Amino acid sequence: MADKEKRRSGATPPGMPEGNATKSDSDREFLSRAGVGELLRGAILKMVEARSDDPIGFLADHFCNLASVSETGTAGYSDVDHFSDGPLSAGAQEQQHLNRALWHLRLAHHSQRSAFSNNVRVAYDLLNLTGPLRRSGEVPQGPDVSCTDSPTEGGGGGGGVKGGLYTQTLQCLCSEGGVPASTSAPLLQRLHCQDHEAVPYDIFRHGVLTCAVFSDYIRQAQRLYAEVCCPDEGPASRALCLSVLGTLKEALETSQGCEANVCDNSNMKVNSCLEGNVKALCYLEASAKISPYRLGQAMAGAQARGPGGNMDAKEFENAAAELFITRVKVVS
Amino acid sequence: MFRCCIGHPQTLETFGAEGLRDSRKPRLVACSGSTLDHHDSNMLHSPHERVAHKDDVAVMAFLSFRLFQIQEITFKNYYTAYVTVRLLRRSPGHEAPAKWSTALRDLPLMDNPHTEGGSQDYCSVHRAQMQVEPDHVTSVRLILRQPSSAWLTFSLEQIQIFPQVPPNPEKEVSDWLSDLTLGDQHPDLEGLPDPQTVSSSLQQMWALTEVMQSNQTSASIGRYDVDGCYDIKLLSLT
Repeated sequence: MADKEKRRSGATPPGMPEGNATKSDSDREFLSRAGVGELLRGAILKMVEARSDDPIGFLADHFCNLASVSETGTAGYSDVDHFSDGPLSAGAQEQQHLNRALWHLRLAHHSQRSAFSNNVRVAYDLLNLTGPLRRSGEVPQGPDVSCTDSPTEGGGGGGGVKGGLYTQTLQCLCSEGGVPASTSAPLLQRLHCQDHEAVPYDIFRHGVLTCAVFSDYIRQAQRLYAEVCCPDEGPASRALCLSVLGTLKEALETSQGCEANVCDNSNMKVNSCLEGNVKALCYLEASAKISPYRLGQAMAGAQARGPGGNMDAKEFENAAAELFITRVKVVS
Repeated sequence: MFRCCIGHPQTLETFGAEGLRDSRKPRLVACSGSTLDHHDSNMLHSPHERVAHKDDVAVMAFLSFRLFQIQEITFKNYYTAYVTVRLLRRSPGHEAPAKWSTALRDLPLMDNPHTEGGSQDYCSVHRAQMQVEPDHVTSVRLILRQPSSAWLTFSLEQIQIFPQVPPNPEKEVSDWLSDLTLGDQHPDLEGLPDPQTVSSSLQQMWALTEVMQSNQTSASIGRYDVDGCYDIKLLSLT
C-alpha cells in the first residue's frame, strides 16, 4: 500500500477514468491511476470504526453509497438544464440523502458515545444540504473522499434540516429498531417538527438519540414481558405486570425527585462535591428500589392482593413505553 | 446618624449600616429593644473589649426570633479595618440565660488601615474560623473599627448570615441501606418469575431512561404558535 500512496499525488481523480489506458501499463500503475488504494483504505477504516457483525454486507452498503455519491453528482450536474425535472429529482435526491444519513446513523450503537456523535454529525450535515440546484462548478469529489467533506462544499446548505426530513428520519429509526408504529407514535408526537421548520443540530441529535434509546428500551420491555409471563401459561397476570412496572416507576421518580432537590438547593452554599454526593446517593436509592430483593417482595405482594385478570404483551409494551415517553421533553 | 435595617437572618436578607467618623464614644446600632438588655451597652466599655475612645467604632447587630446555627457570615467590606464578631447564645433550655461571647476578635480586613488594600473586598467568616461554636445563636453583633483618619465613612455591606443546613440525606441512607442488608429473608417465590432476571431487565430500562433524560437539550426550535395557530390575535407578546 505504501508505494501506492507515494504515487497518489500523480493519480488522476478516479471519478473521471481515462479512456486511453495503454496496454503496456503495469498492474501497479493501473491501480494507482484508478485510486484503488485510497478506496480500499477508506473502506477498511470505516469498517474498523463501525465493527459491524456482517462485514460483507457492510462493505456492500459502503460501496453502494459511494456509487450513489457519484451518481448524485452527475445527476445534479445535468439537472441544472432541465428545470421541469427539478421537483422530481429533488424528492428523489432527498430520499437518497435520507438513506445515506440513516446508513450513517446505523453504524454505531448509541452507547459508543464518540462514534455515535460523529455519525450524527455526518448525518446532519448530509441532510442539511439544500436541493439539487447545485452550481455546475461542483465536481463530484469521488469515492476516496468520504462524506464528511461534502459540507465544506455545501456552503449553500440551509440553517437546519427540514422538519419533514427530520421527522422521517426519526420514523425510520424507530421502525428499524423494531418499534411498532403505534408504540412510537406518542414519542414522535413530542419530537416531531413541521415541514416548514428548520431543525438545528442540538434538536436533531436529541431526537435521534432518543429514538435510538427508545428502540433499545422497547426491545428490553419485550424481553421483560417474556420473563414475567410463563409462556406456556398464556399472558401474564395483570397484578404481576403492574407491580413490576410500578417498581420501575418508583425508581424513575426517585431519581427525578433528587434532581429537583439538587436544583432547589443551589441557592444554598452547597459546594459541588456535596452536590455530587447527593446525586450519587439519589441514584443509589433509586437503584435499590429495583433490587432483586425488593422486586421479589413486590411480586409476592402483588400476587396476593393485586387486581385480577391478565395483561397481554401489547398492553405491557404500551405501559412501559408510557413511562419512558412522559419523561421526554417536547420540542418547542 | 445611624441608618440600619434589621431583618430576620433566616431569610438571608441583606443589611447595611454606616459608621460615621466622629470621635465621640461608639454607639450601638441595634434597637428594637426587648431582647437587648440595657446593661449590654455597658459591655462595649468593659476592659476586655479594648475599645479605645480615639478609635472610631461602629456596631451592627442582628436579631433572630429563633435559635439557629450559623454556617457562614459573608459581607462586602467598605473601608473597615478590623471587625469583631460577638454572639449572644442561649442554651436550649429556657431557664438558661443568654450569654455574649466573642467568636472573632479584631479580624483584620485591611492590611494597613491607612491604605486601600482590602478596603472593598468580599469576605466570609466560616463557623470553623470562630473561636466558639455558633450554635443556638439568638443575636449577632459586628463591631467595626477604623482607626485611620484617612477615610470619611466605613461600613460593611451585603451582609448575609447563612444558617447551617441539616444534612438530610444521611438519615435516609440508613433506612434503605438497611433494607438491602436484609437479603437473607427470601419471600415466597413459588410460581413467580426469577427476581434476578427481572431486576436486571428493569435496571437496563431504568438506565436507558436516565440516559435519555440526561441528554435532553435546552435548545429551542422557536415555535411561537398558540395551539398550532398563528392567528395574529392569539400571538402573545412575550
